[in-house]
Amino acid sequence: MSRIIIKDVMKAFGDVVVLNNFDAEFPDGKFVTLLGPSGCGKTTMLRMIAGFEKPTKGEIFIGDQEVSSTKTFVPPEKRDIGMVFQSYAVWPHMTVFENVAYPLKMKKMDKASIKEHVEKVLEIVHLAQYAERIPSQLSGGQQQRVALARALVAEPRLLLLDEPLSNLDAKLRDSMRFEIKEIQRSLGITVVYVTHDQMEAMTMSDIVIVINHGDIQQIGKPTEIYRYPVNQFVADFVGKINFIAATSANGEVQFKNSPQRLPYEGDLKGDVVVGIRPENLRFIKTGGDLTGTLLSKFYLGDVNDCRVEIGGEQVRVIAEPKSFDKHTEGESIQLRVDEFSVFVDTGDEDHMKILT
Amino acid sequence: MRSPTLSLPPLMKHQKWFLDPKWIIIALIVGFLLVFQVFPLLYLVFRAFFSTGKFSLEAFKRVYTYPLNWSALVNTLVTAFFSMVFGVLIAFPLAWLIGRTNLYGKKFFRTLFVATYMVPPYVGAMAWMRLLNPTVGSMNVFLQKIFNLSSAPFNIYTTGGLIWVLTGFYYPYAFITISRAMEKMDPSLEEASRISGASPFATLRTITLPMMLPSIIAAALLVFIAAASAYGIPSIIGVPGQIHTVTTRIIDFVYIGSQEGLTDATTLAVFLMIIANLVLYLSTFTLGKKQYITVSGKSTRPNIVDLGKWRILISLAVVLFALVIVIIPFVTVALSSITVNLGEPVFSEGNMTLRYWIRIFTRKSILNSSKNSLLSAVMAATFGMIISCMMAYLLVRTKIKGRKIPDFMITVGSGTPSVVIALSLIMAMSGKFGINIYNTLTIMVIAYMIKYMMMGMRTVVSALSQISPSLEEASQISGASWLKSMKNVTLPLIAPALVAGWFLIFMPCFYELTMSTLLYSTNTKTLGYELYTYQTYHNQQTASALATAILFIVFGINGLLNKLTDGEFSI
Repeated sequence: MSRIIIKDVMKAFGDVVVLNNFDAEFPDGKFVTLLGPSGCGKTTMLRMIAGFEKPTKGEIFIGDQEVSSTKTFVPPEKRDIGMVFQSYAVWPHMTVFENVAYPLKMKKMDKASIKEHVEKVLEIVHLAQYAERIPSQLSGGQQQRVALARALVAEPRLLLLDEPLSNLDAKLRDSMRFEIKEIQRSLGITVVYVTHDQMEAMTMSDIVIVINHGDIQQIGKPTEIYRYPVNQFVADFVGKINFIAATSANGEVQFKNSPQRLPYEGDLKGDVVVGIRPENLRFIKTGGDLTGTLLSKFYLGDVNDCRVEIGGEQVRVIAEPKSFDKHTEGESIQLRVDEFSVFVDTGDEDHMKILT
Repeated sequence: MRSPTLSLPPLMKHQKWFLDPKWIIIALIVGFLLVFQVFPLLYLVFRAFFSTGKFSLEAFKRVYTYPLNWSALVNTLVTAFFSMVFGVLIAFPLAWLIGRTNLYGKKFFRTLFVATYMVPPYVGAMAWMRLLNPTVGSMNVFLQKIFNLSSAPFNIYTTGGLIWVLTGFYYPYAFITISRAMEKMDPSLEEASRISGASPFATLRTITLPMMLPSIIAAALLVFIAAASAYGIPSIIGVPGQIHTVTTRIIDFVYIGSQEGLTDATTLAVFLMIIANLVLYLSTFTLGKKQYITVSGKSTRPNIVDLGKWRILISLAVVLFALVIVIIPFVTVALSSITVNLGEPVFSEGNMTLRYWIRIFTRKSILNSSKNSLLSAVMAATFGMIISCMMAYLLVRTKIKGRKIPDFMITVGSGTPSVVIALSLIMAMSGKFGINIYNTLTIMVIAYMIKYMMMGMRTVVSALSQISPSLEEASQISGASWLKSMKNVTLPLIAPALVAGWFLIFMPCFYELTMSTLLYSTNTKTLGYELYTYQTYHNQQTASALATAILFIVFGINGLLNKLTDGEFSI
């Protein structure tokens, strides 16, 4: 039993509130990702689950145990948690074996079982032949695996990962992503993962919690977050999106700067912002939902990245690569819209931009 | 395939060798140090073995079989050893409490302990001989009254007393070294241990302590050598109790004035020099390499250990420590400076006076000595910083061969006991080899530079290495010359470090005692020496007034440096 319940947690350092009314439940055995820009409070939340920070207000439960509230506070060493730190935090004065054996030693396990457990977990992270090395002889990726092995060896009820891949190079990051996910799936352990990288969040998570300025923006599966973002921030932070100011009335949204419109059956009325992901815009010969002018195109091999002007707004279109030779810059173009979202216009100009 | 490197014109290889100004700078610094540091020290060793003109161990036999010298040797090792042990036993817990726990008043304590590092140690000796004099020491009298004892509980004029004062004034060396190492350690190393199931205490034992061990040993050696080469404290506390140390013996021998006296001093100095070099070798060249460098991902605040119900108790213990080790001694000295009759309480009728304070600002000899000290300290600091800046640039920004040579020499110089530096300069620079600067302020300035220049150099080096070279490059690519880039970009960024480095050389030179005692002449007496003679021969109150004035200056400058560096200032 290792679901986590976070009830109304608030955290302030002095006068600065870094997390507001954080209220969520992480189900048992799921991979939960806290996603947000740096300084949004995600690491603070993770450190409160670990017990390195005390919530200013609110309660945290791990399994059925209340680990943090106004009355109780369970210190980190009593929480039965594994954690991988961003800087790996592999102890330089111990061998790989000693590093990984440490949590078991703290549990006063006998030597023979320690050896057995450590060897098993080193096998899992592909470090079996490095057991007697000292960390400075290992590469960053290998140190990362030591940290992971150390976090897993005591079979904790919960695994916390604090931006574990951010110090690795791009190739290694890709393979570690799948490896971590694979380990989580085979062990069936609950994982809380902190990252600012939406790609990591999308590929690994069962549940993504998007956070900004200390507030939860949205909780959902990766597909939900991507296809049905609840606000402009989420839409913007996860993936790429075009925003176009519009007015909603009579079953359609009317663009503000041009006579073009799209059919809309939703509840929002008045000033709105239409969000269209670049891959949901398609070039077609006739009968498009929108018309525009092709401003520029960039051949990227797998896709054709284009800028199109629609009624004074620049819009990004990810078209199929074959379209590259079919159109010329300056040409008038028909566009089919496969999917779009409509948001309340908050007047926040920050989001009115093309994301590259 | 053709290799492009083959087409390199043969001239290119040589061009670098023509008059690279860096070489000239290195040559100048090395030349200066060769003449004024290396040669005198080598000559000192030579003199010890060739006192009669040919190789003989006569001098060693004579000196080391003389019982008084033997006991001085033993006293030096014993007091230095125990000061080291107690110093580290005090410094490590303090550094941990201040760096890693929720102790009350952490910042204040840190500033206080760092500031005591800059206080001249003889001030401590002056205070404690007033407090723990076996018959009239005010703390002794107080404790006797409170606990109803038949006799005074402590006697400062003992080996134990010497260890007490040495520890009280040299533990900051260890505190600063250990604190700095602890600040550099990635806090997540300790958090990883907590999350692995280790209690705060187990974490301290299995992670923090072993990781810090090289720094702790380095800190211990630092205290050992500082205590072993101390002169101020043993001369004020030890000599009245007939406890001699190597330094006091060396200075006694020099004061005899005869050739034999000089030979004996030299022979003893060789012993001190060997210990110092051994310590330097161990701490810089062996331990220095073992210190773990951990790269931290992001600057997480260290996880603060909650002391829980112990918080108040431990904080009170630290307050008590600060009170006994820092506050009471300083207050004692300050009060002595306004007391007419030291046998009576200061606040008793008619016993308070400002006459000693007036004296230190009016008496000609004191003003003269102050002027000498100010002048030589300013010169040592200024020349020291010029060399420091050039050295820092060479060390951090260039890969030029030979840049480590002057660095090595400067490190050795600062690790050499003051008394040895001064003695070697006396012997080599009094005309025997064509240079006679004995009895001048110049010899003083040179001695100060050799001993204290490294403080400045380290400060500038660490500041400069924190500035990415791309900042200078960005300025150059924007069209500024190298010199302009230095002036517009680098200099403003390291300015606080330059000021801090200057004062770190200036302060110890300003109140220097040991080297001045050997190098002074009637016209070049220094403040430290003046204070010492007042303390020992004339009038303790005047000495106290001078010491208090120095304390004010030290704490004032410390505050200034803290402000300049946004509280980041550390030594």
